[in-house]
Amino acid sequence: MNKTTYISRRDFLKLSTNALFGLSGLLGLVGLIRYFDYYLPEAPVEFDLGDIANYPVGSRTVRSDIPAVIYNKDGEIEAHSLVCTHLGCTLAENGAEFDCPCHGSRFDDNGVVLAGPAQKPLKTLRIEILEGGMLKLHTKG
Amino acid sequence: MRRATILIIIGILALGVVFVSSVSVGTSTALQQATATVSIQITPTFDINRLAQPPTVIPPAQADNGEQIYWGMCAVCHGDQGQGLTEDWVNSFPVEERNCWDSGCHASDAPANSFELPQTGIPALAGAGKLSRFSNSFELYRHIHQNMPFLRAGSLTSEEAWSLTAYILRMNDRELAGFTLNGNAGAAIPVHHKVKLPESQIPGALILVGVLTLCVVAVGVNIQSKQTALPSKPNFFHHLHPPSIPAAQSRFSYTLGAGGAAVFLSFILLVTGLLEMYYYVPTPEQAAISVETITTLVPFGSLIRNLHYWSAQFLVIVMSIHLLRVTLTGAYAPPRRFNHLLGVALLAFILLLDFTGYVLRWDEGIHWALVVGANMLKTIPWIGESMYQFVIGGSEPGAPTLIRFYAWHIFGLTLGAVILMAWHAFRVRRDGGIAIPPPTQRKEHERITRFDLLRREVLAMTVIVVILILFSLLIPAPIAQPISAINTMTGDSQAPWFFLWIQQLLKFGDPFLLGILVPVLVVVVLAAMPYILPNAKSEELGKWFPRGNRIAQILAVLIMAVILALTVWGAIPK
Repeated sequence: MNKTTYISRRDFLKLSTNALFGLSGLLGLVGLIRYFDYYLPEAPVEFDLGDIANYPVGSRTVRSDIPAVIYNKDGEIEAHSLVCTHLGCTLAENGAEFDCPCHGSRFDDNGVVLAGPAQKPLKTLRIEILEGGMLKLHTKG
Repeated sequence: MRRATILIIIGILALGVVFVSSVSVGTSTALQQATATVSIQITPTFDINRLAQPPTVIPPAQADNGEQIYWGMCAVCHGDQGQGLTEDWVNSFPVEERNCWDSGCHASDAPANSFELPQTGIPALAGAGKLSRFSNSFELYRHIHQNMPFLRAGSLTSEEAWSLTAYILRMNDRELAGFTLNGNAGAAIPVHHKVKLPESQIPGALILVGVLTLCVVAVGVNIQSKQTALPSKPNFFHHLHPPSIPAAQSRFSYTLGAGGAAVFLSFILLVTGLLEMYYYVPTPEQAAISVETITTLVPFGSLIRNLHYWSAQFLVIVMSIHLLRVTLTGAYAPPRRFNHLLGVALLAFILLLDFTGYVLRWDEGIHWALVVGANMLKTIPWIGESMYQFVIGGSEPGAPTLIRFYAWHIFGLTLGAVILMAWHAFRVRRDGGIAIPPPTQRKEHERITRFDLLRREVLAMTVIVVILILFSLLIPAPIAQPISAINTMTGDSQAPWFFLWIQQLLKFGDPFLLGILVPVLVVVVLAAMPYILPNAKSEELGKWFPRGNRIAQILAVLIMAVILALTVWGAIPK
């Protein structure tokens, strides 16, 4: 029989010990990553907008506390978020458009980007019409 | 023969198909039950079947029990679908009873054994936006338990209130299948989010235990094979040890490995404690809930918490064993007397760390231990009131107390313990390592290398980890329901186990004498033994029960025996 290279008993023991400890370390690491991966799901955020009669056709209501702008265009009630799609500052009203004080993005009445580092149009927010004509705005979901 | 085999195989396959299909049908029905959606509709005519008792489910889930109680006690006001006292629901009553606020019914002149209905009506329990003032199940349970039913508030048992809570969660499509809500685990379940329980940690932990056991075997074989040739260069951990030590110092039969085990357990406490800090919230409202969140909802959270808890309790025991071992082998003889003081101080720090950690739960289990412990401070003459204010931060335990205990636990006491441990370890090295006779008086001169020493330490550490994980999987750390604002004696009146002996003593007389002076005296006596009692001679060191410090050995054993007896006595339920 040819004398092939063989591993000494001492080296084999050292290798297997290190491999086993390495394996336990990996298992521990996986457990650690899973441990950190827990988040409470976000609550849906809602705002009371009041009676639908407060939003007559052609009206444009800016609610800076949400922040959002609510339009009534020919009977359809719509809302856009006034959070800048660049990095999240609240937009300021400037005539017919909305401007961002942080980096200069500009948006028009429909939320379309006019200028500035922002790329995406303003987010449309869902309006729920409850019984009795009360409106509820959902900013998330 | 072949035909029989084919028939058997067909039979097994048929059984398998039947089994799998029945399991899947059963599962899907259960899923349908659990995810039934609530639809609230106003119908012109009332369906009398809505008043029928819900069918009995066997075996009943907690929410099924809740459903029965709800039908019997709550539906009459809150509606069969949790819609509240709506017009549609009122139409289910006989015509003459449809105005609940009629005079003589539930108006302000309600009969003596009746009650006045709030003018604001009966709230709905199901649907978007309802139950908004309850963020977690414990708050919902507490409201039900204390204030419902409206006629006889407080008449529900705790179990009934939890069953109702589970049913209300089901009405809102938040039921956790297979999970029983109670004070130990209910608080964490949020009312307004649907959560998923993490998958079981048992398989992963058992695999880890298996691999670690193989590690123990590998290291054990390594040690046994007595490598005589010079191994490679020492690594960082090797260099922390002396190049070689006398073999007599390394025997588990002499040292029990207790000191080393204490260091390792402290290290585990640091790491698991840091991990728990990621989720723990140190406010009275959130503390117990965050602990229950870690235990119930965070993946491997209960493993981390249990590891932390068991490491802490084992540490107290291991340190006591170490103290006893050092005394029973006379090892604190000069020049090691100061190190003995450091060790006793460490024991005091660890007990304080255990107590502050215990209080951080802020649940009913710790409630009275905190009140009593704090009031014991007040019994100290002259400085008692100031000490109370310093520790509690107010006239009674509250939010400042919790944040102070948190600061002490994660930083103040930990820093002190780390400094003492480092000093203690330094003194061990400077005083010549573990106590044995000086070289001229030694009988054996065998030595082991730092490589062998490290292997033994690694072996001991791995064994400790295996035992800890098994304990943590089998026995959970305690948690009770959060402390409510109300000052009722709902909680457990037992002290934490390491103070049970003091609790027993306090039953017999003056609190300052028995609760403060006696424990302090015990600590002082144990610390002073090397200075006031005769010590073992240097040639006697290295073995158990040397003649020289026999008096101290007897004293130490007596003290430990009395403390143990008091602890066992205190642990017996009344």
